[in-house]
Amino acid sequence: MSNNKNEKVLEIKDVHAKIGNKEILKGLSLDLEPGKVHAIMGPNGAGKSTLSKTIVGHYDVEMSGGDIIYKGKSIKDWEPEERALEGIFLSFQHPVEIPGVNNAYFLRTAVNAKRKHEGKEELNAAEFLREMKKYLELLGMKSDMISRSLNEGFSGGEKKRNEILQMMMLEPDVIILDEIDSGLDIDALRAVSEGINRMKDGKRSFLVITHYSRILDYIEPDYIHVLKDGKVIKTAGPELVAQLEEHGYDAIEE
Amino acid sequence: MTLTINNLKKKSKDEIAQMLGLTDDLPPSKEAALERLAELGIPTKKSEEYRYFDVESLLDKSYEVHLHVPKEPKIGEKIVIENGVIIEVPKGMRVYYDQCDALDLTHYDPIYYLSHLLAPHVIKIDLDGDAEVELVHRYTHSGALLPYRIVLFNQENRHATVYETFETEEISESLILYGYDMHIAKDSTLRLIKTQSMDENRYAMISSNRIKVNDHANAIIKTFDLGGDHALQLLKVDLGTYSHIDAGHLLYLNHQAKRGTVSKINHIGEHSTSQQEAKNILDGNARGIFDALIKVEHSAKWTKAHQNSKAILLHEDAYMAAKPQLEIYIDELEASHGATTGQLDRKQIFYLQSRGISYVEARKMLVIAFANTLIETVKDTRHQERIQKAFEKAFYAGHKELKR
Repeated sequence: MSNNKNEKVLEIKDVHAKIGNKEILKGLSLDLEPGKVHAIMGPNGAGKSTLSKTIVGHYDVEMSGGDIIYKGKSIKDWEPEERALEGIFLSFQHPVEIPGVNNAYFLRTAVNAKRKHEGKEELNAAEFLREMKKYLELLGMKSDMISRSLNEGFSGGEKKRNEILQMMMLEPDVIILDEIDSGLDIDALRAVSEGINRMKDGKRSFLVITHYSRILDYIEPDYIHVLKDGKVIKTAGPELVAQLEEHGYDAIEE
Repeated sequence: MTLTINNLKKKSKDEIAQMLGLTDDLPPSKEAALERLAELGIPTKKSEEYRYFDVESLLDKSYEVHLHVPKEPKIGEKIVIENGVIIEVPKGMRVYYDQCDALDLTHYDPIYYLSHLLAPHVIKIDLDGDAEVELVHRYTHSGALLPYRIVLFNQENRHATVYETFETEEISESLILYGYDMHIAKDSTLRLIKTQSMDENRYAMISSNRIKVNDHANAIIKTFDLGGDHALQLLKVDLGTYSHIDAGHLLYLNHQAKRGTVSKINHIGEHSTSQQEAKNILDGNARGIFDALIKVEHSAKWTKAHQNSKAILLHEDAYMAAKPQLEIYIDELEASHGATTGQLDRKQIFYLQSRGISYVEARKMLVIAFANTLIETVKDTRHQERIQKAFEKAFYAGHKELKR
């Protein structure tokens, strides 16, 4: 992936999407540039989470128009796992608990599925653990969390740290962070942000979906996109955050 | 000789004896078995314990009765029983043919008596000390009716384990009538871990068992029934004072399988305890059966009885017949039972897919997670892995045509 300013890693083109019978995204267009942090802000019900679900191919969402182009290919008909294997990662707002599925076993399966897809050697258990331990410390995660069932009984902060651990291990190219700051205390927010910032390499793109500007103090955005009623109504630089803080979303005109 | 078991329907004791060729002077146990069989009658789809199992079509077929001829077994590492004949025995282990001298005359299952009548003798296994033995059943005949029975004894104050598996060659259309009379000695523990993987259309099985758990003894019975075809295990368990049974049944069925467990656990002695858990995963057009009664007799004060069935349906045509029941005649006890049926959680599947795990692998991870609480009760890791592999094989057999 080059760092060419005009290159787009992900192009969301005039997307219309429904959940049930309700149209949520109403002609949404958005381009993600390589190496940039794009923040999506908007009021409740604007379609922020639906946008993230649409990109990753969630079963709730039915795309009724438009297209999503990732690295030059349309992915709108791809299965969720194909999108993930090609490098799209969503950090869920509410990660699901899966009792009985061991966290380390799950993550190793996912990492090896991706490595296999990329034609790389799969990691054995020892190699995987060595790799993972590097990140556990950084994220302030207790080592017993990897031997527990996936997200089962994890606190809100632990779940989000676990999402970031997965992100770091899977090394995706496009990272969507859906309300990553919700339910996090200051320490957890700092640890999670540090993990995210570690992933910035000038090539990866980030789509940070948030209600509040707090997370943007930790993850510095390049662009702010305001989403309202299923469309991006304004795109600007980070200076827009202060304006939103002061005047709210209602003050933003299309 | 050929036999159609349904022809024994509504026949008198003497008529049954004649049709089975039991014309010589019969030992008392066979006389008693004849009487009970005539009394209970050949099972039909209306019989309570066979109502969810397609018994009539199995018993309506004509089979060549395969009479086993004893031969000298070789010394090996396992007990191997091929077509009802002992062919391999571990060195020093007492495995031999004998007459059954302790028939249970209160068993509810007519097939228990029929298999005793048809089997020319029983295979007795005496488990000495803290034995740990593998028992392999092997079937090599098509179109055969194969009746045989095992009588199992262990020793007081000892902890024995039997790992039981089943093998088959390229056979078809056979019916196996088989089962245990298990006598678990006072103050002992007997663990039976049964793994039975079945392909479609090889053989059907009715396994009718009696388990007597003597005072202060423990029975640990774990059954892992995987794959296709038709098989029913019927258990009758009698619990003495301070005795305990821990029964776990895992079913993973695919295709047109109809399999499961019918059980009656009788709490007879005071302070007896039972724990029975069934986990059922059903794919394709499969039908799972868990028809289980726990009966607490007047004599069984201060007992504890817990029973639970959980099922996951992987296909809209799959069906679970779960009927946990408690029959209680006293007040001084602790008891519970329940049954649930559901499907895999779509959110969980999607979460795994969103990390690059395929739809099929995601389903596999979730069903294994569901099954693991039972598989992990098998403490020996080698056998645990063997069960997991058999489970995966059955899973992929049911997912061959599923691309994603």
